[in-house]
Amino acid sequence: MKISYKHIANCLIPRPDIGELSEKLFQLGHEHEIFEEIFDIEITPNRGDCLSLDGLLRDLKLFYEIEKKHDIFQKEILPFKFEFENKAKECCSNISFLKIEIDEVPKRYEDFLDDYFSILNVKKINFFTDVSNFLSYETGQPTHCYDSSKLNEPIMLDFLDKETEFETLLDKKIKISEGDLVFFDKDKNVINLAGVVGGKNTECNKNTKSVIVECAHFNPEIIIGKSLKYDISSDAAYKFERNTDPYSHDFVLRRFIKIVESHTQIKKVELLSKSYAKNIYKFIPTEITKINKILGTKINENECLTYLNKLGFEFSEGKIKVPSHRNDISTTNDIAEEIARAIGYDNIKSEPLNISVTNNFKVNFEEKKIKKILIDHGFYEVINNPFVIENFSESVTVDNPLDSNRKYLRTGLKHSLINNLLFNERRQKDSVKLFEISDVYTNTDHGSFGKRTIGVIASGRIDKNFLNFSKKITKDYLEDVLTQLRLEKFSVEEISRDTLNSKSKNKIVFCEFEIDSSLVLDSFFDDLRLDDITGKEYKPISEYPSSFRDLSFSIKDYSQCKLLEKFILNYEHNLLKEAFVFDYYKNEKLKEIKIGFRLIFQSSKGTITDNEVDIVMDEIISSALAIDDTVSIPGLS
Amino acid sequence: MPDSKDLSSPELIKDKGSYHPINQMKDSLMNLLISYGFEIVEGPEIETEEFNFDMLNIKKSHPARQMHDTFYVNNKSNVLRTHTSPVQIRGMLQKKPPLAFISGGKVYRKDDDATHLPMFHQIEGIYVDEEVSFANLKDLIYKIVKALFGDDVKLRFRPSYFPFTEPSAEVDILSQNGKWLEILGCGIVNPVVLENCKINSEKYSGFAFGLGIERIAMLKFGVRDIRDFYKSNLDFLNQFK
Repeated sequence: MKISYKHIANCLIPRPDIGELSEKLFQLGHEHEIFEEIFDIEITPNRGDCLSLDGLLRDLKLFYEIEKKHDIFQKEILPFKFEFENKAKECCSNISFLKIEIDEVPKRYEDFLDDYFSILNVKKINFFTDVSNFLSYETGQPTHCYDSSKLNEPIMLDFLDKETEFETLLDKKIKISEGDLVFFDKDKNVINLAGVVGGKNTECNKNTKSVIVECAHFNPEIIIGKSLKYDISSDAAYKFERNTDPYSHDFVLRRFIKIVESHTQIKKVELLSKSYAKNIYKFIPTEITKINKILGTKINENECLTYLNKLGFEFSEGKIKVPSHRNDISTTNDIAEEIARAIGYDNIKSEPLNISVTNNFKVNFEEKKIKKILIDHGFYEVINNPFVIENFSESVTVDNPLDSNRKYLRTGLKHSLINNLLFNERRQKDSVKLFEISDVYTNTDHGSFGKRTIGVIASGRIDKNFLNFSKKITKDYLEDVLTQLRLEKFSVEEISRDTLNSKSKNKIVFCEFEIDSSLVLDSFFDDLRLDDITGKEYKPISEYPSSFRDLSFSIKDYSQCKLLEKFILNYEHNLLKEAFVFDYYKNEKLKEIKIGFRLIFQSSKGTITDNEVDIVMDEIISSALAIDDTVSIPGLS
Repeated sequence: MPDSKDLSSPELIKDKGSYHPINQMKDSLMNLLISYGFEIVEGPEIETEEFNFDMLNIKKSHPARQMHDTFYVNNKSNVLRTHTSPVQIRGMLQKKPPLAFISGGKVYRKDDDATHLPMFHQIEGIYVDEEVSFANLKDLIYKIVKALFGDDVKLRFRPSYFPFTEPSAEVDILSQNGKWLEILGCGIVNPVVLENCKINSEKYSGFAFGLGIERIAMLKFGVRDIRDFYKSNLDFLNQFK
C-alpha cells in the first residue's frame, strides 16, 4: 500500500520527521520502503484494518496525538426506498446504499482531494469514482458507484447459477463462473462481481450527476482468489480479502457526502442500510499475568490498559472489548502481541534459556557417511528440483504446475544427473563426478510413497593428478568406489550417449539405489560446524570459455623440482584460473625429471584470446626458467 | 607410480569433491541447534492439507492455500509441503512436552523468478515446555544470529504475522551497506496449534522459529543470485570445498 508521509504526518502531534515515522511503523510491524516521501507499506494479511490512512493513524495513536481533519456530514439522512434483496446474507452481513444527486459536476477538486491524485500519482476517472477511491485510501472501506440512471431495480445479491460473460468497467470481458457472488439487476444482468469490480453497464462517467454508492462488508472467503482468477487488479478485492470493518459504513458514507458537499451543491441524499448480523463485538478476559507470562515481562495492569485504550480497546467487568475493525484479535495471545508492539519487540529483555529435554528420535548418520566417502573420491553434491515432463504410470501429478514441462514429480534421479553432467561437459569439464540424495515419490495403491534415494554419475578423467590424469572413468571405477559402501547389491549402468546430443567419447556411468534402514556403514562422517563454512566466499564465475596450455619441463637438478612446482602452482594472475601437475616422470638413468603442468585460463570479461594467454605464459616461462640453469623446456629455443 | 621416498615428486593431490553449499549451511545450523538441546525430526515432502495447513491454524480462506501459492498433487489429494512446520506437528503428536524439535529440508511454493524458486530449503524449530516466553525466544534467536554473523551483528525484531504463532516476529540484521535484511521468522506458538496436537495450552507454551537456508547461505557466502545454487555448475560448487 502506498501512502504519503505528508498525509500521515499532518495528523500527528508532535509532527515526526520521516525517519522517526519510519521507525515507529517498523515497531508496529508495518514493514515498508520509502520513495520520495511515499511509504510503500507491506501490511501483513491479518491487518486489513491498516490498509488506509485512518488505519495507520489508529495504530500510531500509541505514540502521538491524532488530529484528523476528516469532517463528516452531520445532518439527518432521509431513507432511501431502494429495492434490494440479499440472497447471500452469510457472505454479506452489512450493506448500505447511498443515493446522491448533485447540481453540477465540479470542474476542479479541492486541494485535499487533488493532493491525493498528484502525490500518489493516481489517475482521475470521474468525480464520484474519484471520491470513492480517495475514501478507500482514507478509511480503508471500498465503495462502489453506480450511475443511478443506468440501474434497473430491483437489485439482488446472489450466486451465479451458470457461467456468464461480464464486461467490467475496466473494459475487460471475462467469463465469471457459476457460484461466484454477483449483483444482478431487474433483468438478471450481472452489474457487479461482488467485492471485486463493477460492470460497464452501470458505470459512472464524467457527466454522472446522480449516483448510488454501495458500501458493503463481504466475508473474505468469498472474495479471496477472485482478482487473481480473473486477472483483475482490484483495490477493493485486496481490502475485502483482508477483511473490513462491518460497522464503519455510516461514518464512511457520511464522509462521502461531506466530500461531495465540499465540491458541489447536493440536491438529494438518501440512505438505505441493511444489517443481517448480530452484534459481532468480541470480548477477551483481562489476563495481565498471562500476558506477562507470554512475553516474559513485568508490565503492570495500568500500563497494559493504557496501551490498549490508545488502540481503541474498551474495558468492562474484567473483559476487554475488541474494536470492530480489529478482526485479527480474539485471544489473550493476540492482546499480548498488542502490548509487545506498544513497548517495542526490541525493548523486551531476553531471558536466558536452557533447553533440557530427553531426545528420543533416532538420527540416521548413514547418509552422511555415504556423502563423505563420495566427496573423498572427488564427487560433488548437487540438488535438483523434482519437477519433470516425463510421465510414468507411477508418477505423482502436479495439479497446478508452473508450466507443462514441470507437470510431474521425478520417479528417479537419473535424468536430472545426466542433465547436470552434460551441462558441465558443455562448459569444458573433462571430469564430472556428481551425486544427489533426495526423496523420490511415486504413487502406489496406498498413496504417494517416498524413498530416500541416491544417484551417482560420473564421466571423463578419474582425477587430474599425474597418476590418474590419463585414466578414464569406467564401470569398474564406480563399482570400486561404491564397494566401499558395502551395499548388498547395486548395479552400475553405462549410459549411451546416442540420444544425448553429446560428442564426447567418454563413458557415462551411473548408479541409483535406495538409502534404507538396512544400510549400516562402519566409517566416519563430517559433522559440519558453522566454523567450517565461515570464510568461504563465493567469487562470481565466468560464463566465457576457458583455454588451457600444457607446459613440460626437464629438470636435471632434482632439488629444483619442488621449487618449480611451488612457483607454478602458486602463480597468481587474474586470467589464470587453475594450474596442476598432470605428468611426472623421474628417469634415474638419464638423471632427469620430466614434469608437466596444465594451466587453465579464463577471462571474466570475454572470450580469452591466444594473445592474452601468450603474455601470461611468457611471464611464467621466463620466471620458471630463471629458477635454475638445469630447468629447461624441451624444444624451446 | 612415484617412489614413496622420491623427495622431488610433486604432491599427489587427490581432487576432493564438496557438499552442496545449501546442505553445508543446513547441516551446520542443525548441528548448532542440536548443541542447544534440540533433536531432529523428519517428515515427508508430500503432505496432507491437514498437517500442512489445518493443524497449523492456516484457515481454508488463507491466501497460502490458493492454487497460485501451493502445489497440489494427485487431484488435490495432497500438497507439496510449503514449510517444514508439518514435521513439527507430527513430532508433537508423537511426544509429550517438554519437547524441542528441529526439522530441515526442501519445501515448495508456486514461485519462479529471479528471487524466488519453486523449491527451497528451510529449518524450523519448536520448543514447548511450561512457561516458555517471548523473552526466552529472543535469547535463542540472539544466540543463533550471533553464531551465524558474529557477536557484533545488529539485529531487530519487528511484529509480523504467521497463523501458527502469536505474537509473531520477523528478525532483520543490519547489513554492511546500512540496509536491514530479513533473516528469519519466529513467535510464540499459537495455543490453537498446541491444542490441535493434544497439548494443554493452559499448562504449556512454546516458541517456534524458521529460517530460509538459501537466504542465509547467500548472505554468508556472498552469492547474489539464488538460482546459482541449483545450476549444478562445477565451477560454482568447487568454491565451497
